Amino acid sequence: MICAAHSIARRLASLWLTLVCVATAAAVALTGHFANASIGVWIAAPFGMLGLNLLAALAVTPKLRRQGGLLGFHLALAGLALLAAADQLISLSGHVEITEGAPFDARMVEAAAGPLHPWRLDRVRFVQAGFQIDYAPRMKRRDTRSTVLLPAGDGGWREVVVGDDNPVVVDDYRFYTSFNKGFAPVLTYTDRGGRAHTGSVHLPSYPLNYFNQGNEWALPDGTGSVKLWLHIPEPVYDPESFWQFDKPDDAVLVVIAGEDRHELRPGDSVAVNGGTLRYDALRGWMGYTIAYNPLTPWMLASVVIAVLCLAWHMAAKFKRVPWQTVGAKTERCDAG
Amino acid sequence: MPGEQIWLLAGLALYAAAAVVAVVNAVRGRRRYGGAMALVSAALAAHGAAIALRWFRLDHGPYVNLFEILSSNVFTLHASVLIACIALPAIRPSLSTVLPVLQVLVVWLLVTPPVDGAAPITYQTMWLAVHVWLGKIFLGCVVVAVGVGLVVLLRDLRSSRLFPGMPNNAALDELMYRLVFVGFVFESLMLVAGAIWAQDAWGRYWAWDPLETWAFVTWLAVVAYLHLRVARRPPPAVGAALVIAIFAVAFSTFFGMPFVSTAPHKGAI
Repeated sequence: MICAAHSIARRLASLWLTLVCVATAAAVALTGHFANASIGVWIAAPFGMLGLNLLAALAVTPKLRRQGGLLGFHLALAGLALLAAADQLISLSGHVEITEGAPFDARMVEAAAGPLHPWRLDRVRFVQAGFQIDYAPRMKRRDTRSTVLLPAGDGGWREVVVGDDNPVVVDDYRFYTSFNKGFAPVLTYTDRGGRAHTGSVHLPSYPLNYFNQGNEWALPDGTGSVKLWLHIPEPVYDPESFWQFDKPDDAVLVVIAGEDRHELRPGDSVAVNGGTLRYDALRGWMGYTIAYNPLTPWMLASVVIAVLCLAWHMAAKFKRVPWQTVGAKTERCDAG
Repeated sequence: MPGEQIWLLAGLALYAAAAVVAVVNAVRGRRRYGGAMALVSAALAAHGAAIALRWFRLDHGPYVNLFEILSSNVFTLHASVLIACIALPAIRPSLSTVLPVLQVLVVWLLVTPPVDGAAPITYQTMWLAVHVWLGKIFLGCVVVAVGVGLVVLLRDLRSSRLFPGMPNNAALDELMYRLVFVGFVFESLMLVAGAIWAQDAWGRYWAWDPLETWAFVTWLAVVAYLHLRVARRPPPAVGAALVIAIFAVAFSTFFGMPFVSTAPHKGAI
């Protein structure tokens, strides 16, 4: 039994297997690059195998265990390879849009995740408050400050300001603001039965799509849909100056229902399909990118330990033998 | 602006002059290296002045657009060669092999428009500076190894009596290995610093965008070389060819990918 395990370990510890793992990882990365495909799961296999290869090498090669630097390097590198493989299997990357005043809704998230991702997004609770975005001349987006309200221990709420490089972290999910944001008319539709349904419609990202601030809203009772267009008479920005993202005061919501066209301001109502559509307010919506990589701190620690251990080991080795002396003996033999 | 250009042109002319002097001395069999090293020093002073003036004017370092990245790399790669020649006098003859290689970058910089750019908000982190400097040290180590590798290859292809002032090929092979190894340590730390920056800037430490993919392939190429060198110890000429191949991959990653990629991590764009 021990002999069989040793034999398997020796095979796993092969130097050629190390090179095969490295070459496979390169091939997978390049295939993903040229095929423009996601490689998360596929790259996990060579990473995982490399981790096992390194651990097997430590088990069957006493020389690797005798030297502190080399031992630390192989252990940390094996740990890194296994952690990287695990990360590819459990990570998540996604995005979501949230209207000002509305809570985060996990159902609105679009995400790609590894096959072993635990899917705990439905536990995430926060409410989107207001946000400010600074722009420099020539439409260069600068700081974004988006305020979100997180449940506090005392039953109240606490404010957290989120930015492009400053996430709010909830249950290991990190939410960062993105370039994506825009306007969201809040509408209430009262159907023929007198039931009121309130919702918001996210218009395309602004100012990226300043020329196309339209969308379509399916009426909640399923009787049809209306086309919406936010007419902004004066742009809210001057492209040559510093400015801050803000909602326009003079915007008019154009509602097209069938052949009818209506121009609404906040508080206005119009009859649509036997019901009543009221334009409540104009709010903003903020786009977030979501990332889930809970193993990152461990990977960082592993890679730093691996690099430092390797540097320590090789520095000692290089110090023992000056490079100029390498081959000198051979040269003397050749000359003689 | 004109002041910057004058200093820059003076620096580029001096780099080119240093390369010419190094090659002429090598061809004529002269073992004089002080002239080329003095010219590189003068070039670095002039070019450094141009970079500093631009930095003060735009209030950001040379890492935003193609012109700035090329300019800073021309500076740091020549500085790496000069430092290596001062620290390791035995490799000074390799000035005649490595300086002509660097003139490719000099010519590229000369024809690149010096447009001004604004640093994105995500560049306002110390991790960017750490990432960039670690990368420059890595590439500097590899460039010095390439100069040594070209000596090994020329001896192998033409005559073992070439570059008589330099140690034998086995010693040069060992030096290349050590330079690439030191570069590997800095490259690994560069990837770590880049990942920390990416986590802050884009909410992910690694996303397999084209630049990251090629940076990973470069790292794997270095790993493969180091592993092969330890496990199989190929002949010096093969080692030299591998080091030059690593430089080619690293060069494409540093200077090619940021300008052909349309993915979010566009580096220079």
